[in-house]
Amino acid sequence: MKTPTEDHDLIRWLDGEMTAAERERFAARLESDPVLKADAEALLQLGAALRAHLPGEMPLPHADFFNSQIQVRIAQEDEPARSGAPSRGRWLEWFRLPSFATALAAAAAVVIAGVMIWQQDETGESMVLSTYTPNPGVQARAFHSQEAQATVLMLDGLEAMPADHKIVGYHIQHSEREQDVATTLYGERGEVVLVVSEDSHHQPRLLSVSTQP
Amino acid sequence: MRTLAVITLALSLLAHAAGQQPAPGSPPGGSARKPATDGKVWGALIYATNDPKGLIGSKEQAPREFAGLQARLGKVFPYQHFEILGQHLQDVFREYESWVVPTKDLFLKVDSKGPAKGGGMNLHLQFWREQQVLVKTDATLRADSPLFIGGPKWREGQLIFVLVLQK
Repeated sequence: MKTPTEDHDLIRWLDGEMTAAERERFAARLESDPVLKADAEALLQLGAALRAHLPGEMPLPHADFFNSQIQVRIAQEDEPARSGAPSRGRWLEWFRLPSFATALAAAAAVVIAGVMIWQQDETGESMVLSTYTPNPGVQARAFHSQEAQATVLMLDGLEAMPADHKIVGYHIQHSEREQDVATTLYGERGEVVLVVSEDSHHQPRLLSVSTQP
Repeated sequence: MRTLAVITLALSLLAHAAGQQPAPGSPPGGSARKPATDGKVWGALIYATNDPKGLIGSKEQAPREFAGLQARLGKVFPYQHFEILGQHLQDVFREYESWVVPTKDLFLKVDSKGPAKGGGMNLHLQFWREQQVLVKTDATLRADSPLFIGGPKWREGQLIFVLVLQK
């Protein structure tokens, strides 16, 4: 584990903030410290890879998930500091630490692993612009089938539905929003079939009201 | 003067009561207000299989405007038989999430992101399997261009979710 001073120097070196004299001294340190040199090279490669694969500006898809991952990583990094290391004070300091850079890279890797951003076009067809699969074992592929004149989102790696599981289908004809908290779904004859709502964790809750034949 | 006030109050109550009556032909649930919508989608869960004996015997039929659906599915998925297990015609609410629930096993949450440039709607979709979200996606849905979501395997075939923007 490097000391904070070394961390700061490495970040300043990566960011090109050092004076010529400081750069010279830091280069000498890199030559004498293989661990520090390996860290520096890894961060340089990571930065180059990110620059090569991401556009300069882009909207962040599923920003809520990204932000939550950042918060989790910050909390994880914060835990050892609370148990002994002195507090760094300003939270902005995190942005200057390799540990944060590592956390950011890890979070970015998580996002990049699950999120795919697809090329937009103006063909007049439906388009899948981005996908995010929370289960890392599931991959999403999107393509347009000219023959079927349809856009396809294929989910590979899904766990199969048990063969003995009975699937009951509904025929929902319309719905109504009830008091901003639930949606009532009506069948063909105007009968209430389902009530759908979300719990505090945004998990859907489906309440069957009648069973269709 | 007092008589006039009573008559005014009575008329006011009558007008209010009339406003509470459901419109002719409207379904039950008259207490719900009608939220703004951005369009209407049709969603269905399809069972695709090569074994005709494996079909469950569903009587569900696609609406006339989507009559060629099975043929189109056959261009993408390597199956010969496509059976509609459930279907759902749903308004896409502008301010609230909408749910497309042809079955309780696999269903879709739809959030409108407004009209799309060049026609259609921008949507945020979440494809759920009971309490587990399988995929979240931002998509542009256009009429005459259905979205097929290749879902999990089931029995000898596969479950497919179809989402179509109604014209």
